[in-house]
Amino acid sequence: MIYSVVGYYALILGLISGSILTYFSVQNFRNSVILDTKILSLSFLQLFFVVISFFGLVLSFVVSDFSNETVFNNSHTTKPLFYKITGTWGNHEGSLLLWLLVLTLFVFIFLLRTNNQSIKYKILTTIFQQIIIIGFFIFLLKTSNPFNYLFPIPEEGLGLNPILQDPALAIHPPILYLGYVGSSIIFSSALAATSLRMVSGSWATHIKNWTLVSWIFLTLGILLGSIWAYYELGWGGFWFWDPVENVSLMPWLALTTLLHCILVLEKRSILTSWVIILSITTFTLSMCGTFLVRSGILNSVHTFANDPERGLFILIFLFVLIFISLFIFFFFHKEDQKNSINLFWLSKESAIILNNWFMMYFLSVVLIGTVYPIFLDVISSEKISVGPPFYHKLIIPFLIPFLIAMAIGPQMKWIKSNLESKKILIFLLFISILISYLVVKNFDKNLLVNTILISSAFYLFFITVRDFFTKKFKNISQNIAHFGFSLLILSILFNNLLSSEVIANLKIGESYENSKFKIILEDVNQRSEKNYNSVVANFKIISSDGKINKMSPELRIYNQPNIVTSEADIKTSLMKDKFIVINLVQNQEYFNVRYQEKPFMLWIWVSVLLLSMGGILSFFKKRI
Amino acid sequence: MRILKIILIILLLIPKISFADDQLERNKITKNLRCLICQGQSVYDSDSDFANSMKILVDKKLEEGLSENQIYDFFKEKYGEWILYEPSLNKNTYILWILPILIFLLGGAIILKKLKFKN
Repeated sequence: MIYSVVGYYALILGLISGSILTYFSVQNFRNSVILDTKILSLSFLQLFFVVISFFGLVLSFVVSDFSNETVFNNSHTTKPLFYKITGTWGNHEGSLLLWLLVLTLFVFIFLLRTNNQSIKYKILTTIFQQIIIIGFFIFLLKTSNPFNYLFPIPEEGLGLNPILQDPALAIHPPILYLGYVGSSIIFSSALAATSLRMVSGSWATHIKNWTLVSWIFLTLGILLGSIWAYYELGWGGFWFWDPVENVSLMPWLALTTLLHCILVLEKRSILTSWVIILSITTFTLSMCGTFLVRSGILNSVHTFANDPERGLFILIFLFVLIFISLFIFFFFHKEDQKNSINLFWLSKESAIILNNWFMMYFLSVVLIGTVYPIFLDVISSEKISVGPPFYHKLIIPFLIPFLIAMAIGPQMKWIKSNLESKKILIFLLFISILISYLVVKNFDKNLLVNTILISSAFYLFFITVRDFFTKKFKNISQNIAHFGFSLLILSILFNNLLSSEVIANLKIGESYENSKFKIILEDVNQRSEKNYNSVVANFKIISSDGKINKMSPELRIYNQPNIVTSEADIKTSLMKDKFIVINLVQNQEYFNVRYQEKPFMLWIWVSVLLLSMGGILSFFKKRI
Repeated sequence: MRILKIILIILLLIPKISFADDQLERNKITKNLRCLICQGQSVYDSDSDFANSMKILVDKKLEEGLSENQIYDFFKEKYGEWILYEPSLNKNTYILWILPILIFLLGGAIILKKLKFKN
């Protein structure tokens, strides 16, 4: 009870300090000789209040204070302490408080760490960031207060959705948010830089680090979510083109694009308008995502409880932000007309523009695929579904030139370059096509498409491997990231081609056999834990080469809320994952068993880690 | 170069593996059907009663000798477009399918107009 009260008032104090901060910032902006020390102190104070409020909520969860409505709705006394804590952000109110925490954290670090930029710029960035922060304070207090008081106080809470009770998902939201919400600072500083007409190469260097930070966290956040979906949702996929997944992919695509074109701005001082547009787009997409997820107009596995009032608030807020951005962009931004932009075909900047062109296409596919069904429903009330086949058809053909350009682009130099060692580039292309053909001809399906696709991925793979040797530590971060991407595409493709699966109904003692393996359901035992009872089925899997694996998938019957979940058993090895999951069939003695062998699963995760490694190395490069 | 040769020899020696699977066709089809009572799951992914009876229905239709597309049409007539994960191309979805391509072309046009490329 006391924690909730403290949390609530801390939230109000945070809002007040935000307002005072904005007031002083405006004052300071008018006569800005030196930065008012009050600004940094107030920003710290605001962060402090939000941290207090956040811990207020965490502690309410820890002590299971059911007079707090959020705790009542999402917790239970029998839950392990770890999930009581992580339950704090496993719901709408708590996760919005996390939003606010990241927003205030980033502006504070921004003020602290930005030393070589003008005072006016720092202040203006703070003001824009405060507009967002205050908007979210009001949103939280008005529509989604995490500290609502319940009376009479319930004896017991409703519990956390069991599929959210998972270590990967426990840290997924904070990591994802650091990227997702972190992009707000890019938005604010882009607006500030535009207003002050200081979008230049040195500004690009300064904002690049912030872009990298957001990008790294967003990449890792998406990875964690994907790993979670793989083993917890229970059917062995890792990306479903689900609207909520798309919503996290869109800012990622925009950030990746920004990361590339910011280099052009840094080196050549061109593409100023484009960098600004991208900076604004990234955060706008994050906001759009929040709107889509929280308004409940999406049909998704991930949807929280939601209500229309919240959706409306975010929508209005989103439009205000877009309006401010457009106004600033068109009113203040003057494109440098004097030196019209001349580029050589063969140059790094041309290659990056090519990258941007394709990335924007991928972004528009995901955006249109996610949003179009909603529009159609509103306009003609006809419901359509846009699923994986749509995305595959529109993205895969474009991936082929994209991968090849990704291999050749980094071979170029800035301004003007000749393609050196053309012979080896062509030779590697030939080798890639040959290898792919030889591999793909073993499968009966889609020979041509798969050969071309796999060759282009192999091409990127070979060229990046070669670059590790020829370029050594020069551009190592870029090379690792591109290498990681080639590995990602290759792993996904081979995973798709080589996966095999079996669905069978088995009673105890029965077995299923095909040419590759034999599955025997040996016995079933029961286990009892604090917050769930489980049925564990013990399987013996004999592969055709005689290897025996024991696997024990589980059915968990959670007590609060009363939900049955299937816990897959996964044996991960370097080359392949064995994945087994059981389901109960009502009124039947048998289990529905799903067994899959999925090659290169581990490599999918490793390659995304490599991608983010590239980002991390790039972040620390200057400091080494 | 020697490594490449070795890789090539190994690859040439890989025997042709057959991946034909009796469940393959059904899995492919059910992955493209939405489980109507679930939140964003395909029939293939779901284990609800609805999804299970759909799977049986797909098997039955396959046994009757219907092709993949015929099965999709059958479900579309019965439940509407909502059930198909791949929206068919018709007056409702022209924009959906064509707009991304238009954006791609438009992007290319903008790049060519704004920037002057030289050899």
